[in-house]
Amino acid sequence: MKIRFTLNGKNVVLESAPLKRLLDILREDYHLFGTKESCGEGECGACTVLLDGKPVTSCLVNAIHVNGKKVDTVEGLSKTKLGKMLIDCFDETNAVQCGFCFPGFFVSTYYYLLNDGDNDLEKIKKALSGNICRCTGYQRIFDSVKIACARKKVGE
Amino acid sequence: MGSVRKFDSKPKINGSWKFLDDYQSEDMIYGNIIYSKCHHGIIKDIHFPNDFNISEFTFVYAKDIPGENIVPEPVSDQLFLAVNEVFHYGQPIIGVAHPNKVTLTNFIKKIKIDYEELPAIIDIKECLDNEKNHFGREITIDHRTRDEIQNSWIRHHNVYYMPHQEQAYLEPQGVIAEYDKQDGIIFVRITAQCPYYVKSGVESMMGSAVNDVVIETSEGIGGAFGGKEDFPSLLAGICSLLSYKSGKPVKIVLDREDDIKITTKRHPARIEIESYTDPATKKIEKIDIDYRLDAGAYQTLSPVVLARGVLHTAGGYGFPDSFIRGRLFRSNTPPNGAFRGFGAPQGFAAMEAHIDGIAAEMDITTIELRKANIFNNGDEFPTTQKVTEENLIDCFNKVLEISDYQKKLKSYAQWNKNHKDKKGIGVSLGFHGGGFTGNGEKTLNSEIKVVLEKNAEVKIFVANTDMGQGAHTTLAQMFCEAIDHPFEKTKVQLPNTSKTPNSGPTVASRTIYIIGNLLKQLALELKKKYKFDKLESYIIEHNSEFPLELRKNYIQPTSVFFDEESYRGIAYKDYSWAACVNEIYFHADTYQIELIESWNVLDIGRVVNEQIALGQAEGGILQGLAYGLSEFFYKPGFGRMSGFTDYTLPTTLDIPKIVIEFIHTDSVTAKGLGEIPMDFPAPALRNAFLNATGIIIDEYPLTPEVIYKTIKEQK
Amino acid sequence: MQFNKPKDLNELLENLSISQKKNYFLAGGTDINVQIKKEFIKDGNFYYINEIDELNGIKRKNEKVHVGALTTYRELLESDTISEHFPFLQRSLTNFASPLLTTMATIGGNIANGSPTNDVTPPLLVLDAELELISVAGIRNVSLTSFFTGYKKSLLKKDEIIKGVVLSIQAENGYETLYKKVGARKTLTIAKVALAGLKKIKEGKIDEIKLAVGSLNEYPRRLDKLEEYLNNIMIRDINKNTIDEILSKEITPISDLRSDKEYRYRVCLNLILSFLGINH
Repeated sequence: MKIRFTLNGKNVVLESAPLKRLLDILREDYHLFGTKESCGEGECGACTVLLDGKPVTSCLVNAIHVNGKKVDTVEGLSKTKLGKMLIDCFDETNAVQCGFCFPGFFVSTYYYLLNDGDNDLEKIKKALSGNICRCTGYQRIFDSVKIACARKKVGE
Repeated sequence: MGSVRKFDSKPKINGSWKFLDDYQSEDMIYGNIIYSKCHHGIIKDIHFPNDFNISEFTFVYAKDIPGENIVPEPVSDQLFLAVNEVFHYGQPIIGVAHPNKVTLTNFIKKIKIDYEELPAIIDIKECLDNEKNHFGREITIDHRTRDEIQNSWIRHHNVYYMPHQEQAYLEPQGVIAEYDKQDGIIFVRITAQCPYYVKSGVESMMGSAVNDVVIETSEGIGGAFGGKEDFPSLLAGICSLLSYKSGKPVKIVLDREDDIKITTKRHPARIEIESYTDPATKKIEKIDIDYRLDAGAYQTLSPVVLARGVLHTAGGYGFPDSFIRGRLFRSNTPPNGAFRGFGAPQGFAAMEAHIDGIAAEMDITTIELRKANIFNNGDEFPTTQKVTEENLIDCFNKVLEISDYQKKLKSYAQWNKNHKDKKGIGVSLGFHGGGFTGNGEKTLNSEIKVVLEKNAEVKIFVANTDMGQGAHTTLAQMFCEAIDHPFEKTKVQLPNTSKTPNSGPTVASRTIYIIGNLLKQLALELKKKYKFDKLESYIIEHNSEFPLELRKNYIQPTSVFFDEESYRGIAYKDYSWAACVNEIYFHADTYQIELIESWNVLDIGRVVNEQIALGQAEGGILQGLAYGLSEFFYKPGFGRMSGFTDYTLPTTLDIPKIVIEFIHTDSVTAKGLGEIPMDFPAPALRNAFLNATGIIIDEYPLTPEVIYKTIKEQK
Repeated sequence: MQFNKPKDLNELLENLSISQKKNYFLAGGTDINVQIKKEFIKDGNFYYINEIDELNGIKRKNEKVHVGALTTYRELLESDTISEHFPFLQRSLTNFASPLLTTMATIGGNIANGSPTNDVTPPLLVLDAELELISVAGIRNVSLTSFFTGYKKSLLKKDEIIKGVVLSIQAENGYETLYKKVGARKTLTIAKVALAGLKKIKEGKIDEIKLAVGSLNEYPRRLDKLEEYLNNIMIRDINKNTIDEILSKEITPISDLRSDKEYRYRVCLNLILSFLGINH
């Protein structure tokens, strides 16, 4: 079937099987390799993207869900002003290790900054609780997000 | 220079850094492994589904292997592809490839293999409790110095069980092999820790059928933790044969479920300890340790894990009389392999629990007992290696101080009197020998290469991989710092066996300790030889002498000698030390342990990049805590796990506050850091639970089910 | 597998009324995609229903609140109506799924899935929720307490779907509440034990109590017999052994890869006793 949607701000049309996973559409049809597959069952968050502005695991979203909607991936979000600021925060605290989970963390944090952005550690933990990282122990990720929250406030 | 930022962090965040599955090429086809779903049996028949066009598929069987059907390991006993008999679930039988990934997956799902089932051991205790299952390597460290046991000494005897642990790197195993028929070269791109191991794997598989084998890693290696040390050789071998036979580039990326089911895990262990303590001096006078590892169906690199295990299991204590016996046991599970810590976490989990057990039995504090026995300058390891520092004592004192241990111990005891829930605090010690065991670094004779370009750019060529630990950033930093060269004018070559010399595998906490220090030495020698103030200015002034290629090999100091027969001598030249205090909250209604705070003091010598080092320590400590608390892979009666739904990694909501302090950071040498954070946190957690409840549990992890069972049995 | 995208509820119901094969419904997809991957779904009619408006939305009608089957957890968490009338339900929801799954996961999907471990049912059970089931024949209301009939079995007929959940706005009024989900970790986890409870206590006497459990039977259920014993009893007269005895007949926990039946039973008992304020 024909799927029409907005991908990182551009209108696109794709011929796709209705159940094809959004993750596969992004990687295979659009070569957006920033969205990663790790578990394939919604348990790790490495494939997080925004669907109509809300975070989803793209391994559990089908082509048909996407029709008529807006999809934002790490490739698009990282080029925004907020995205660039966030990348700096992660970089400064050396929050990234292997990096495979990180586009997912980036997207979840981006959503959090845009929709809440409170400095509270418990809230940050909750907001990132769908993303698994095996390398870092999360401490540095929390630190970065706190800095990003503060900078976003100043920026406003 | 302090904490320079990782050169790869921004591209990793914005998704542009390439991991294995992100590499594409036009005519690439997809491969996979058809593996055994039987624990032990004879293959009787293989049924392929008939609704596929078989001619579109490429198959490789054991009989198609042009070289040797053996994965080269420390012990070469594992087959690439099974022949008639399978010895474990997950054993590869056939390699298969097809241009369409979905078709391939559907085809494999429909293949049925008939087996004549044979007796199999998959239960950890069934494997390790029965001496008949011993196979392969046995190591004895005999440091018995006295015959008599004094009547007044207090005997404490116990058996400890440690589980499998899954590395759970977020990027699954994957490889792309490309056979160039014209030149007879196999090019392999892979997510792996040790390109040269993969090279010898593929060479063994292909034999004289190819002229050369070149291995290059993917730009990003999405976590490894030991899990990408040995298994990639097997995967690359099969993928190369598929490419050789099909004439096309072949990509294999394991699905998470397959990855968890068929790859290596941390060895389950059974450790039995018998000790005798003098109540007057609180000195442990005699210790006897029986250290057993479940190797799985093949030995592969288990003997090396065993060696490190027996060299660490006695803990950081100066026992005057010790006897350690280490053995491998056979089961019908995939071979267990490398995992951060490499036998040491199992050893400390047992020994540190044992120390608290002795203290509880003698009714003295665990602190008194540790202080009476902890390594002092002049004490000896069981190998007779002399301890020449008191840095472990410093770690211990510091962690007690920063955690406010004594005060909390008292206040929790008070609090516990009036509450059903309990609070607890526990300690543990650990250490980790840097680099390969014994004479290993001598044998390796690692080589590094540095090229100084005309534009004063420094290019570093090493085979060591950056799998997230920040090795490439830190290595470049070490070279630059030694001679005050700008970090921006330094590049590290992506490991490639035709470009980077064999500087050894990325394992054994050796990358910074051996290779980093070697780079530093090379830089200093350069400065001494050319007598420059700034390398940049020197290169500009003497531009015609450049580019200049420099090479250097690691030479093990002659003072380091280890007798592999008697297990005496210097097992490791330098040790990193650590002490830990964990605080827990025990929920009486649900029998759950909640981690509150984890305090850790480490001596890793000079800290090259504090931010990177802290990140490494934090991550390793969380893996260690999860090892003690929640991670296990096999449950009697219900088998092994198959995905991230069952194998539950800690989320952001499950973790304690982790505090880390490095001491003796002004030392000259940067010692090993990679593994030690994983080695010691689990027993401090177990000891905190003992402190909270008075309940002794000798089986890790301390799941609520195990806790409930123990409480019920004690009643 | 036959894929269908009905344009509205009528077309869906028409289709269902003549369907010969087993019907599968794709709503938020958080569960069914895992089932597809694991090959639990082989053949049947597949209906995409996620955009059928009649099944969506939170609406108040007089003393009732109708929650459409396609309402996502995120919508429930962000709904003012829910936070005004059902703060307990909303708090419970925060324990269910990760912020990534709440975007897509629907309340109707979670119930229809019928898993013994489904998260939303225990709190809805103690709120005396009703389900609206719809087919070409019309709408019928059934109480959630009677909806499940066995392991992954329910009153839902082959030509019916869940239209929505109906709650009385008084359902939480004046109660002390409890929701506890016990899992291997705090989120992204399948419950080993789940307990939801409402109670009203006056002068040391239990005026009213409602208890529901998940992961302990073939389907989530109310503890009717235990409620019967506890209703109108003085707290000081409660006999722990009687609770134990009744509970042992009402729950049938199993051992599996995730937990043990003995543990599940004991934790359920402990949580109930603690909810009643009884030392144990």
